[in-house]
Amino acid sequence: MVHADLMGIIRDDLVFDVGRHVDGTVYLFEEWGLPIWKDKESEGVPLAEGGKPVRSGRWQIMINGEGYKPIVAEAAKAVLGMENIFERVFIVKLLLDSNNSNQIAGAVGFSVREDKIYVFKAKTILLAAGGAVNVFRPRSTGEGMGRVWYPVWNAGSTYAMAAEVGAELTMMENRFVPTRFKDGYGPVGAWFLLFKSKATNGFGEDYVTKNAAMLADFAPYDKAAVVPTCLRNHAMLKEMKEGRGPIYMDTPSAMAKLAETMTPKEVKHLEAEAWEDFLDMCIGQAGVWAGLNIRPEQSKSELMPTEPYLLGSHSGCCGIWVSGPEDMSSPAEWKWGYNRMTTVKGLFTAGDGVGASGHKFSSGSYAEGRIAGKSMVKFVRDHKDFQPALKGDLGEISEQIYKPVRTYLEHKDKTTAEDVNPHYILPRMFQQRLQKIMDEYVAGVATYYQTNGTLLGEGLKYLTMLKEDSAHLRAKDLHELLRAWENYHRLWTAELHLRHIMFREETRYPGFYYRADYPDLDEDNWHCFVNSRYDPETEKWDVFKRDWSALVDHGH
Amino acid sequence: MPTFVHTDKCDGCKGGEVTACMYICPHNLMKLDTERMKAFNQEPEQCWECQCCVKACPKQAIEVRSFQDWVPMGGAVIPLRTDNAIMWTIKFRDGEVKRFKFPVRTTAVGSIDPYGNKPEPGDLDGPNFFTEQGALPTL
Repeated sequence: MVHADLMGIIRDDLVFDVGRHVDGTVYLFEEWGLPIWKDKESEGVPLAEGGKPVRSGRWQIMINGEGYKPIVAEAAKAVLGMENIFERVFIVKLLLDSNNSNQIAGAVGFSVREDKIYVFKAKTILLAAGGAVNVFRPRSTGEGMGRVWYPVWNAGSTYAMAAEVGAELTMMENRFVPTRFKDGYGPVGAWFLLFKSKATNGFGEDYVTKNAAMLADFAPYDKAAVVPTCLRNHAMLKEMKEGRGPIYMDTPSAMAKLAETMTPKEVKHLEAEAWEDFLDMCIGQAGVWAGLNIRPEQSKSELMPTEPYLLGSHSGCCGIWVSGPEDMSSPAEWKWGYNRMTTVKGLFTAGDGVGASGHKFSSGSYAEGRIAGKSMVKFVRDHKDFQPALKGDLGEISEQIYKPVRTYLEHKDKTTAEDVNPHYILPRMFQQRLQKIMDEYVAGVATYYQTNGTLLGEGLKYLTMLKEDSAHLRAKDLHELLRAWENYHRLWTAELHLRHIMFREETRYPGFYYRADYPDLDEDNWHCFVNSRYDPETEKWDVFKRDWSALVDHGH
Repeated sequence: MPTFVHTDKCDGCKGGEVTACMYICPHNLMKLDTERMKAFNQEPEQCWECQCCVKACPKQAIEVRSFQDWVPMGGAVIPLRTDNAIMWTIKFRDGEVKRFKFPVRTTAVGSIDPYGNKPEPGDLDGPNFFTEQGALPTL
């Protein structure tokens, strides 16, 4: 299922490894207090003792999610101890070891609350700072620009900081374009899978069935038990482009059908479930419904494919190339070191950070964090004598971190309105320029997700100028300094994405993006990983292929 | 979808160094105006509308007003959260009000003991977590 949804290119070893550890992890969540829905026959029985969860899909179960994050955070806090937790510190960059090339030795960042630089020395580091949001121009135009799909504080730091120290990344061309309830980004999964709702074009036609022949161009993946997410988008985009919008989720029909066999009390409960779906995960969508007078039992809702997101844990698989589990019959080049270690010695990752293994979601990412954690303990045990020595001059690095503040102080009085000043660029403007470049040249919503080699070449030119201008970012306070460095991380992530798309000369993920100059799926030449490495010594990029192989029978 | 703070309800968390909303906001948006001793959202167009600050505010002084570049005026989604349950009030633009209540957790806050009743640490070199017994499946 994961294999087909991600159009055939995943690391079976990593996906299987998450799969074999995830259930035990969810049992812990339940033990700690997470309410998990059970079917009628096993109400009150914990999963660990055979309780049967209410399923909404092959790998989705229903929960009351309101307390999820505080629950897992409380467990982490109990284990780590508050004295070992640093809050409101933004890590800007990782630091290599001065005695061993290609080995991690620490990280540096700054407090957003006080004028203080933090320098951490470490024998090993887990880099897990989520995916990348707001790299592309969002569909929202004003106040809604923060109300994006994935959490807006995911600034691509995971990918940027790994790349900057020379870690090998993988599948950075991959992206996720979720189809969500229009403007609020409300989740559709429960509507499709639990409520059995149908999505149609503006004329009531099921666009996936209608366009089945078109999807056959992407065989064999179109025949998967669940049609891959990108192919469903592909069919929907055809309807939109040809003027048969809007795309609707027919919630009234689904709820009426379910209600046929229900008591009035059960119908009331069904309505509450429909709202809880948003209130647990995406409160903003409930606000959109309230403001538009939408009641799901009465009015259909519009769906919309969003701006692209970069992530490795949902229906996307970009990330860092890691060593996999040692106990599987995988190729040697998939297990050269410790499980979940990157190609930089001592640097580990999990969740959105691990590439070529999507569909981990939150519980799978947590399980993967446990895998990495155990490997890191092993790494420390095996490297008792290693004393990290930070490479680079810490004074210079501190100056570099605070440079946007110095730039502001030096130039702010030279113009009568400090926001318009030829000596610096505001982090907000920097982000908007990045988003415009990515949107128009690297297959954002402006071009219906299409690009080509020429557009990408132009895009890289403008991105390079933006990178030059990053030296002139300003920060008028610590909050803006946070935004400056977040956007610097976004820029690196954007460049990785562009370079990978440029390299992969085929259209592997129609509905997510199209190489209009290579519009077909090319299994003969491109059923492989695309990996890249930035060399921190020479500052040169290398993008290259790595062989794919199957550890299970995928039927082709 | 920005948060806003009711002037008459916010007490700046009584002059504490960090207000509840500043403590909780994942995007560093909430800020204390130390002259007025009132909190405010310093960057409304970056608000994800997670409502963490709304839930955490001890004075129930914070609400979310939907982003006006799309959503018509008049609707509201207001949580009232305790340790064990959350009550949501949905106000539609046309005036209708709906309420929903959902459980938050099945255990007492602060009661989680991750190592309680768990096996001793096992083999550091094998693939099992310390909570997992027996051979794991492999490929």
